[in-house]
Amino acid sequence: MPLLDTNTPAAFDSDDARLRLKRENRKLFARRFVANKSAVIGSALIALIAVVSLFAPWISGRDPYGLDVVNRLKPPSSAFPFGTDNFGRDLLTRVVYGTRMSAEVGFAVAFASSLIGLVIGLYAGYIKWLDQILMRVMDGLFAFPAVLLAIAMMAALGPSVGNLIVCLTIVFVPSIARIVRSSALVSKEQTYIEAMHALGASRNRIIWKHIMPGALSPLIVQGSFVFAEAIIVEAALSFLGAGIPAPTPSLGNLLSDGKLFIYNSSWMTIFPGLALVLVVLAMNLFGDGLRDLLDPHARRAGKKR
Amino acid sequence: MSAEPILQINELKTHFHTERGRVTPVDGVSLEVGRGEIVGIVGESGCGKSATAQSVLRLFDEKRLASYEGEIRFGGRDLLGLTPKQMRGVRGNEISMIFQDPLSSLNPVYTIGGQIVETLRLHRPIGRKEAAAKAIELLRLTGIPAPERRAREYPHQLSGGMRQRVMIAIALACEPRLLIADEPTTALDVTIQAQILELIQDLNRRLGMSVMLITHDLGVVAETCSRVVVMYLGQVVESGDVRDVFKAPLHPYTIGLMKAVPRLDGDRKQELPDVPGSVPPLHQIPQGCRFAPRCAFADDKCRSAMPELAALPGSDTRVRCWHAGRIAGTED
Repeated sequence: MPLLDTNTPAAFDSDDARLRLKRENRKLFARRFVANKSAVIGSALIALIAVVSLFAPWISGRDPYGLDVVNRLKPPSSAFPFGTDNFGRDLLTRVVYGTRMSAEVGFAVAFASSLIGLVIGLYAGYIKWLDQILMRVMDGLFAFPAVLLAIAMMAALGPSVGNLIVCLTIVFVPSIARIVRSSALVSKEQTYIEAMHALGASRNRIIWKHIMPGALSPLIVQGSFVFAEAIIVEAALSFLGAGIPAPTPSLGNLLSDGKLFIYNSSWMTIFPGLALVLVVLAMNLFGDGLRDLLDPHARRAGKKR
Repeated sequence: MSAEPILQINELKTHFHTERGRVTPVDGVSLEVGRGEIVGIVGESGCGKSATAQSVLRLFDEKRLASYEGEIRFGGRDLLGLTPKQMRGVRGNEISMIFQDPLSSLNPVYTIGGQIVETLRLHRPIGRKEAAAKAIELLRLTGIPAPERRAREYPHQLSGGMRQRVMIAIALACEPRLLIADEPTTALDVTIQAQILELIQDLNRRLGMSVMLITHDLGVVAETCSRVVVMYLGQVVESGDVRDVFKAPLHPYTIGLMKAVPRLDGDRKQELPDVPGSVPPLHQIPQGCRFAPRCAFADDKCRSAMPELAALPGSDTRVRCWHAGRIAGTED
């Protein structure tokens, strides 16, 4: 294993050696990633969903809002692979656009709540008096069921995509903050943190440079679960009419549209439902796989089984 | 010892405010460290040695609810009166500290060199290149072979002794005037212990840096220190010149500690004597002399009134015991 050779130049941050080490590590990670089935399947599905979302206009070529009253409630056929809805809109197109909308909301929520949760978790974990305040607030938010809290906030703010993202972010911040905080609490007790303190490092420096890296892997894993959960809650809200306003296709809206026709035109429910399952399954598989890859303890436990 | 000590602690009290009430792990400690001097602080676990050391750097400020009384004079200032920002300028710059466990004192995700550079750049306005060169120089100073290569390595690639050398290099980065070493050799094996102590002594001589050495190993004190401070339950019970204290210890606790050290010429079949009992927890501090419940000399006076830390006539050693005179043999 030629990680180091004996006659390297004097400057220790020689890019050469560092690059080689990085390459080795990357190779190792790639090998473990490939060996992890759920990570591979999950990321393949996510790639598929991403491609479909990005190239939505080219996939069906139809307008998701285009009415075609003659072709109302047509079952799946070669012209309409997923059938049409009660206004004659092409369901394939609407599912593709709906998936895109759901994925966008999921990503925005996961990103925003990870960022806010990271800041809250780190400071709560490191500064004791802040912990008391911040975590009581988080506990308060946690006490409400996610959907209920989201409905209440949506009712107050009014339905729009932006408001939905804000509400869901508030709903999911506590779960991220908790994970980050527990990781920060562990790192804080390490001697090297105390050593940094004794060497005159400021509080912010210790938090961001020495405690944050340790919280990143659990954060990424939890973030991917929040992604999946946000999509489910978004679908539930839209289904109940408290989410994304009506004509915009989202998986929840499509399911809601389909429920009136579930006996006669079940395709209106089946295809959006399948899309929802696929997206959430993909995120969960990916999250599980990442956790196994990033957390050495989980990996060992997994092997024993 | 030169005229003005570099560090002078006067009647320092450190209180922790816990959920079970206020405890005082450092209770009226006075001691001083002269310029270029190595002072040993000894005592069992829980005697407040580390708490005293960490109070000097005010490391408790953030970790727990702590308050201080008394005075810590360093370089003409009272450290207890400094703002948090001023205090940061003292830590690692004017006073450095090394810890007991070198295995966990380095951040595992950064290189050795990177961590030295970080400390340098915390206190000095120098560039990365310059700091990197200085880091290698520091590693060489602490006797690490092939410092250029070591600087690129991560902590897990180094042995315990090497890591403690790195910690010392980091502590020395900004040329502090005082080094606090909190049991620097406890986690190391004996041959490495000797090397690290030699290194500390050598740096003390070459750089004129004062050292406050915390240990529970009397052998270490005898070899490296010029003065010794014995602590028991948050108080100084005896302090003085190493030779005087070791030749004629005056406090029963010091005597007990000395007897508990195995001797080469001792009777091997005989069981090693120890100090009976153990250090009581901080919220159960005994009345009167704190050592009385474990002391063979204790009488009613000891159990009711606390003796002062004072020197016997004609001696430089200060001792906190009612019976010091009797022990010294100057009275009966």
